[in-house]
Amino acid sequence: MATVASPRASVGGASGAAAWLAQAPRALTIIVTAAAVFAPLSLILYQSVLSAPFFDVRKTLGLEAYEFIFADPDFWQALLNSVLIAAGMTLIAVPLGAVLAFVMERTDFPGKRWIEPMLLVPSFVSPMVLSFGYVVAAGPVGFYSVWATELFGGIPWGLYSLPAMAVIAGLTHVPNVYIYASSALKSLGSDVEEAARVVGASPFRVAVTVSLPLIMPALLFSAVLVFFLGIELFGLPLVLGDPEGHLVLSTYLYKLTNKLGTPSYHLMAAVAICIVAMTFPLVLLQRKLLQNARKYATIKGKAGRIRELPLGKWKWLAVGLLGFWLFVSVVVPLSGIALRAFVNNWGFGVSLVEAFTLDNFRAVFDEPTHVRAIWNTILIGTVGGAITVACYTAIGFATHRRNDGWSRVVDYLVLVPRAVPGLLIGLAFLWVFLFFPPLTPLRQTIFSMCLAYTVVWLAYGMRLVSSSLMQVSTELEEAARTVGASRGRISRDITLPLIRHGLIGSWLLVFMIFEREYSTGVYLLAPGTEVIGAQLVSLWQGGAIDVVAALSLINIVLVFIGLAFALRFGVKLRD
Amino acid sequence: MAELTVENLHLKYGDNPILKGVALTLNRGEVVSLLGPSGSGKTTLLRAVAGLEVPHEGSIKIADKVVFNGANGIDTPAEGRNLGLVFQSYALWPHKTVYDNVAYGLKLRKIAGSDVKKRVNDALAQLSLDHLAERFPHQLSGGQQQRVALARALVYNPPVILLDEPLSNLDAKLREEARAWLRELIVRMQLSALCVTHDQGEALAMSDRILLLNGGKIEQQGTPQQMYSNPESLFTADFMGSNNRLTGRIVEISNGSALLEGTGWKLWGAAKSSAKSGTPGVGMIRLERIRIAAGPGDNHLAADLTTSMYLGDKWEHLFALGEERLRAYGDRPLSTGQHWLEVPKSELWVF
Repeated sequence: MATVASPRASVGGASGAAAWLAQAPRALTIIVTAAAVFAPLSLILYQSVLSAPFFDVRKTLGLEAYEFIFADPDFWQALLNSVLIAAGMTLIAVPLGAVLAFVMERTDFPGKRWIEPMLLVPSFVSPMVLSFGYVVAAGPVGFYSVWATELFGGIPWGLYSLPAMAVIAGLTHVPNVYIYASSALKSLGSDVEEAARVVGASPFRVAVTVSLPLIMPALLFSAVLVFFLGIELFGLPLVLGDPEGHLVLSTYLYKLTNKLGTPSYHLMAAVAICIVAMTFPLVLLQRKLLQNARKYATIKGKAGRIRELPLGKWKWLAVGLLGFWLFVSVVVPLSGIALRAFVNNWGFGVSLVEAFTLDNFRAVFDEPTHVRAIWNTILIGTVGGAITVACYTAIGFATHRRNDGWSRVVDYLVLVPRAVPGLLIGLAFLWVFLFFPPLTPLRQTIFSMCLAYTVVWLAYGMRLVSSSLMQVSTELEEAARTVGASRGRISRDITLPLIRHGLIGSWLLVFMIFEREYSTGVYLLAPGTEVIGAQLVSLWQGGAIDVVAALSLINIVLVFIGLAFALRFGVKLRD
Repeated sequence: MAELTVENLHLKYGDNPILKGVALTLNRGEVVSLLGPSGSGKTTLLRAVAGLEVPHEGSIKIADKVVFNGANGIDTPAEGRNLGLVFQSYALWPHKTVYDNVAYGLKLRKIAGSDVKKRVNDALAQLSLDHLAERFPHQLSGGQQQRVALARALVYNPPVILLDEPLSNLDAKLREEARAWLRELIVRMQLSALCVTHDQGEALAMSDRILLLNGGKIEQQGTPQQMYSNPESLFTADFMGSNNRLTGRIVEISNGSALLEGTGWKLWGAAKSSAKSGTPGVGMIRLERIRIAAGPGDNHLAADLTTSMYLGDKWEHLFALGEERLRAYGDRPLSTGQHWLEVPKSELWVF
């Protein structure tokens, strides 16, 4: 080769200082992440052991706040309600999600390709919006209630009782179970099922006696997940629990201010700590179960070619079940909102045609705060989403291919916010902005909202980013090392370009969840930081149904635009 | 002059020792193969040389520069070792063209643009890849990808080039051609190459020297001829070729010869150092060294033909002798029944 004669090019070994400098971005990333996670949480903890709000000069250290809430019967009732609803929705969502997963993954159910995205819709629409949809569709004077009354002379359902809330929460959380159950089924060869068919089992028996036992670890995980989400519920009990005065932990916390009429931050903090005390063990349990489920899946290993099970006479039962679920969990609430957004009033004897109006939208666009809310929501989803994904990517790179203590620290670090409901993180960030004067100017900007969103969705986003990173084969990076690239160069020249499609997909998914988010903004809402989700909570409290309907519909449209892009570009909607 | 010196290298994963004190030298212009069964540590050794695994004891020296020394904590990172490594999977960067894949190492070395262009084009021309410069890796065949991986590793003139199972991703026919081509390239360019392989045929054909690894240690090393014709241990003899194995007792040793006795047979063979009179012994002879004889004679065996396999260029005959099974090549089919097999005394190794 001609180049043999030319002098040997060499890359100098890094000196001590340079090596230390190369570590600096990583250390900085980890420190900033830790600060963003622990500053708000430690502030909650600190506030919970004060006798008054932290800005109050008369505050003293003590457990008065806990004593107060533990002496309040409403707290215990809310706790009981939370557990009951969480348990009830788990009992509904898990079996239903598992059966739907089996039908979708394993059988010749017609039209699966276009049904799958619809199955995931309830997980993309804000629970606040969904609950509102149920009220206008199936509440005492909802569209479907009125039609049912005209048909049957009465409404055969009630919407505002505890069991009704559990049922609705259960139905709308089916996607969470479906996602994990169907992934588990995907990784399971279909030969075991065919073997059962050959020895004479019907499809139903195959599902119950073969497939479902094999995906038990995944189901167990999703059961804990759904129970955990049940403890965190906020929008649904806020909207549906209000008429009959049913409180759960989060709404109890939310209503504390009204109850006492004074800022009762110490009490809120104490309730927040109680909620986290319940959710944190659940998060650790989920982590353990997920690892188990993965282990189980890899033992089963080789996913065989999946042959569809003919449903035969069971087809109509499956169609009925899926149709019923789709109708109740998707069609009813969404159609309710869509209709309500275009009428000025609704009740017995009102005709849709006569009541049709565009005034609701005019009301939205005439009010600058609403316009700002829409604009901010779009901004936080697009620009904010991009910044957020960039942050998650930086954290991902800080732990990528490094199996040291720091990586394990980050592993747990990103898990911590998962245990804290968005409502509490929003509250905590409000305090952070009030507590640290240098940050106070940011309080009135959309940045405060974006920061809180980033922390709330840290665990979710990290999962997206790391699954992209894991797909880069180790050898591609090692090849770059051997030709002389430093860690930083490898990240920039090899890894980052290779995961860019994954990152764009993550950005779209983050866009959708940021459009959907509502609880995190509840306490951060201020002139300048309006976002649709939080605005809806506040408007709902004020009873502005017309505007709520119009804004809800706009919110749904924004989410669906994101969904359409994601489907168009083949983004995997789940892992 | 040694381009690469490895001394007393130890490496473990957790508590599991992978390398247990390996030493090797690689001289300029020499091809050394690391051969061994899976789990013998050969790939780990290669990766330790490249800096992708961290040993806990021993030293590695590349072109007079110590890049690893367990005793005084020297550990130059992989990117500072200036080696060329060709991965088993080739590991071509899918988002870069052939040209950019090859040029990357030069750009990292801050070589001027025009020089980069010239050297990349030279390297591509050397490997007959010049017409593929603008393609992406997924648009290439397996053989072309392998050559790009080589070009990428060679372009910055590393003192040593490391090859990890370079031929295993090619299909059988292509592999033989690539083997000849690679050997020729290495000789023509006077490369110093360390090559991992599990295929003894590949090692014999490609190398100037072979290091046979077994359980994290070097079992034997030498030229291909030494390794094949004069194995020092049963393991080496067994690993290096297609063999007949006869188990029995060593009844006598004299003048470097051993008499091995089994049920119904007795054979003289060359005594290896482990052979002791009055102990169980194993006789080993290459398939191609057994001859089918016309009649009885010295060191002859009578065995029954069980079946024959036609291999195209020859026949392979299977014989039964009590519990023992023997195989031998022949140039024509045989009738069923008993046949005489000649086992040359010097070709039967007794361990």
